[in-house]
Amino acid sequence: MKHSIWSKPFYYVFAFLIASVSIYPILLMILSSFKTSSEIFTNPLSLPETFTLDTYKSLLEQVPFMTYFMNSVLVSVVSVALILVTSSLAAFYIARFTFVWNNMIFFFFLMGMMLPIKLGIVPLFILMKDLQLLNSLWSLIFMYVATGIPLSVLILTGFFRTMPRELEEAARIDGAGNLRILWNVVLPLMRPALGTVMIIQFIQSWNDFFFPLIFITDDLKRTIPVGMLSLFGEYSADWGALFAGLTLASLPMIVLFFIASKQFMEGLTQGAIK
Amino acid sequence: MKPAMHKPLTLKKQRNWKRLTIHLFPIPALIIYGLFIVYPLFAALTYSFFDWKGIVRGEFVGLDNFKDLFTLQPFSDLFWNAFGHNILYFVLQMIFQNGLAFILAYIIYKKVRGSEFLKIAYFLPRLLSVIVVGFLWKLILNPNYGALNVILEKVGLEDLEKAWLGDPDTALISIILVNCWYGLGFGVLIFLAGFQSIPKELFEAGKLDGAAGFAMIRRIVLPLMVPSIMIMTVLTFIQSFEAFELVYAMQGSQGEPYHSTDTLAVYFYRLAFGGSAGGSTTAVGLGSALAVVLFIFISFFTALYLKYMQKKQVDL
Amino acid sequence: MKKMKAISFVAFLSLILVISACSSSDTGSDGGSEDGTTLTIGSWRTEDKASYEKVIEKFNEEYPDINVEFKPSKNTEYNTILNTALQSGEGPDIIHLRPYTPGIELADAGYLEPLDGLEGLDQYPEETLAASKGTDDKQYGVPLNISTTQMFYNKKIFEEVGLEEPKTWEEFMTLNKTLQDEGYTPISLGTKEGWLLSLAHGIIGPAHYGANEFVDNITAGETEFTSDEFKSSIEALDELKQFFPENYEGLGMEDIRTMFFTGDAAMFPLGSWEIEVLREMNPELELGFFPMPSAVGKEPTITTWVDGSYAINANSENKDAAKKFLQFMTTEEFGTMFTEEFKMISAIPGIESDDELVNSLGKAVEEQSTPYMMLVHFAGGNPSTKATIETELQGMYLGERSPEEVANAVQDSAKSWYEPLK
Repeated sequence: MKHSIWSKPFYYVFAFLIASVSIYPILLMILSSFKTSSEIFTNPLSLPETFTLDTYKSLLEQVPFMTYFMNSVLVSVVSVALILVTSSLAAFYIARFTFVWNNMIFFFFLMGMMLPIKLGIVPLFILMKDLQLLNSLWSLIFMYVATGIPLSVLILTGFFRTMPRELEEAARIDGAGNLRILWNVVLPLMRPALGTVMIIQFIQSWNDFFFPLIFITDDLKRTIPVGMLSLFGEYSADWGALFAGLTLASLPMIVLFFIASKQFMEGLTQGAIK
Repeated sequence: MKPAMHKPLTLKKQRNWKRLTIHLFPIPALIIYGLFIVYPLFAALTYSFFDWKGIVRGEFVGLDNFKDLFTLQPFSDLFWNAFGHNILYFVLQMIFQNGLAFILAYIIYKKVRGSEFLKIAYFLPRLLSVIVVGFLWKLILNPNYGALNVILEKVGLEDLEKAWLGDPDTALISIILVNCWYGLGFGVLIFLAGFQSIPKELFEAGKLDGAAGFAMIRRIVLPLMVPSIMIMTVLTFIQSFEAFELVYAMQGSQGEPYHSTDTLAVYFYRLAFGGSAGGSTTAVGLGSALAVVLFIFISFFTALYLKYMQKKQVDL
Repeated sequence: MKKMKAISFVAFLSLILVISACSSSDTGSDGGSEDGTTLTIGSWRTEDKASYEKVIEKFNEEYPDINVEFKPSKNTEYNTILNTALQSGEGPDIIHLRPYTPGIELADAGYLEPLDGLEGLDQYPEETLAASKGTDDKQYGVPLNISTTQMFYNKKIFEEVGLEEPKTWEEFMTLNKTLQDEGYTPISLGTKEGWLLSLAHGIIGPAHYGANEFVDNITAGETEFTSDEFKSSIEALDELKQFFPENYEGLGMEDIRTMFFTGDAAMFPLGSWEIEVLREMNPELELGFFPMPSAVGKEPTITTWVDGSYAINANSENKDAAKKFLQFMTTEEFGTMFTEEFKMISAIPGIESDDELVNSLGKAVEEQSTPYMMLVHFAGGNPSTKATIETELQGMYLGERSPEEVANAVQDSAKSWYEPLK
């Protein structure tokens, strides 16, 4: 048989091998966070001898972790919502209409990804100062929306284009306006793409540490990555604490992902055109 | 599907009105993006035409910075050195990240048992912050205490043990592979979304045709996957040439060792902001010139590629 | 169903917007506490936060109306953050200044307030003030601390093997061989991070190029980096690699520190700031140091420089209050507290430390110090000469460069900007 190479056992071994490579380093990070430095050096792969949360306790005592967490949630949720609204409107326009300037607009959005945004940090800082957004979470939200738009427009435009025109035409004949077509026809069908954009942008806003570093000076307005990273300098010698810090910086996102993953994944699979 | 109950406007007027409102759709995105990305970037691009003393802008010097970038040593050597690394970055990512992601997405799409688990597993690394990824892998690749060398020793491959990040022959490749590890899940998601938007009937039709395995993928699936392939290629291209964070987190602002992991964006950062710790000087003019060159290069090839893909799509 | 979802999403969103609106409305009250002024201090020393709070408490005993906030940011991004803020007319009132070139650059750019007539400045020796003196010859910073680099050693290992602190270069080399024969890694040094290499050259180099005499000559333009003296200092570094740990090309700061405090390695060429870290990681460690014995018949040397100064932002609205704080930093009271609290050598002359090791280092500084030449004199140029020697030495350890080529590259780099060598 021609497709014997694709027979099931091969599928499995291959796919699960790669999955273990994906997961193992993360497991290692979590396990190592319970170890002492010398345990890590002498036996990096073994299970920790004792499970103690002391390292975590001492790390958490030093930072207002809940405040960081709330800031991160707030910034990420608002950013993602704004990104989804603005990008799907723009992508709908670019993908479903054929105005002469559409390609230009599309490319204009892409351009934002082609320059390191760090280049513009001084004009940005002055802009934020003029808008009185320095040291405010809104500076972060605007930055994440603005930096998220190019990627989201790229993904959504790509997928909006794949939708058969007939569905849209049917709705148009029924007298539906553009907004209604987008909301009732296009978006429900595009749930895999929307879900992807949502996850990616949420992670992106959650994990960024450059903008908070520059725009936020107040410790209580920091987000998780910046808050946790400021601890690293102190623990560079203590690998156990270091791993615990890395885990703490990552755990909220992992937990959130597991809570939401059912939703995400359902959205991803159900939205497919039948 | 309720028809409008009353019509204050004639059908034609209403149509015109609707035709106009559509132009409002891209406006919110354009405003936010224009204000916070385009404006500051273009304001900063003008830096490249000035002479800089530290962080103070001097006089207008035209294209001198561009000339220096390509003619003055060590700047020109550093540029080409980094440029080569970016190309390797792109090629390896296309193979090990996107190629793999395509195959894995297909496996998941075929709904093998445990595909839900696989999806989550591939995506997990992507949840971490790049800084965390860098730190974590630095510890794993550590020559004396790191997990990788210990594993190699346990399975009897001591000969392969290495100072992965300290040896110029393996440092860059290690970093790129870590980047693939990090980005694999995203590729899987995009390709999976692509597979899922292919109407099922086409697969069925393919089967009736007698197309099997790779033949079906090539003849039927691939053409319909053009949007997701386009997305991943454009993204990987741009991201490879903007590669910064992982190199910076793992090898510092000098692209150590001996510039063997230097990329254009790291080189840019070093010029524009100085080294990571004190004691290093800045060359804002040269840095901005480098950013301009990078921008022209990326946008040219992206535009070319998009044009080509568009033609391909029309051909279908 | 779908509608419910949409509605609850919108409700959730608006709730968040309301919360964030509330939380951002209290930003306005940041201005100052009661009627006093609020000073902010920017720094890269995140690890010193607790100690600075004690310093501020002390300061407030005298000036209760001045509210001081110490706001450090991540070490590696500090310059970017500070420069961005300064260029936009913002930034902290009091700035922790990187020593020498980067700090002086800020002064020359007009971002710092000159400290003319600040009481207490005259007590510092000229070399100390040089770390933050502008090219206009005005003083912009109050020097905070002196850092030293030297060879640390593990006293227990030395005792066990029967070794003494070396008095000559030959003794140093034999000592290395003995340690190696006994199964210890003699010198804990890795070459993955370039800054460690210029640091190591700062410790070992003077023994070969002839310390201060060479520094005087090169800064006067009377010798070159291609001279035999300097070349031999690079060759010495090359020769020492036989005593480095296995896989040294892949080892960074954390690794070599770990090898030293766990007792795998006997010597550790690094700076005074490591003392606290080493003790914390291994309280049992018996830590000693020795000045580098000369290979050319000179006195042994300890390498020193000013590691940081404090300056005032020219854009600050609270310059008077800031000056009061800087003045406080020149007092003996502050100096004593600083050495005790931070376990570092205060830049204020004559301050004794209660820590024996720090104290003997301080003594050694007064008697046999040589400057960290690459940082103090050659951190300029682009890429800086200091960065050049770091990269080139890395190349040498990877077998891509000969010591001679390293010396040539350093000379080329210095020649491109350093006036006396042009």
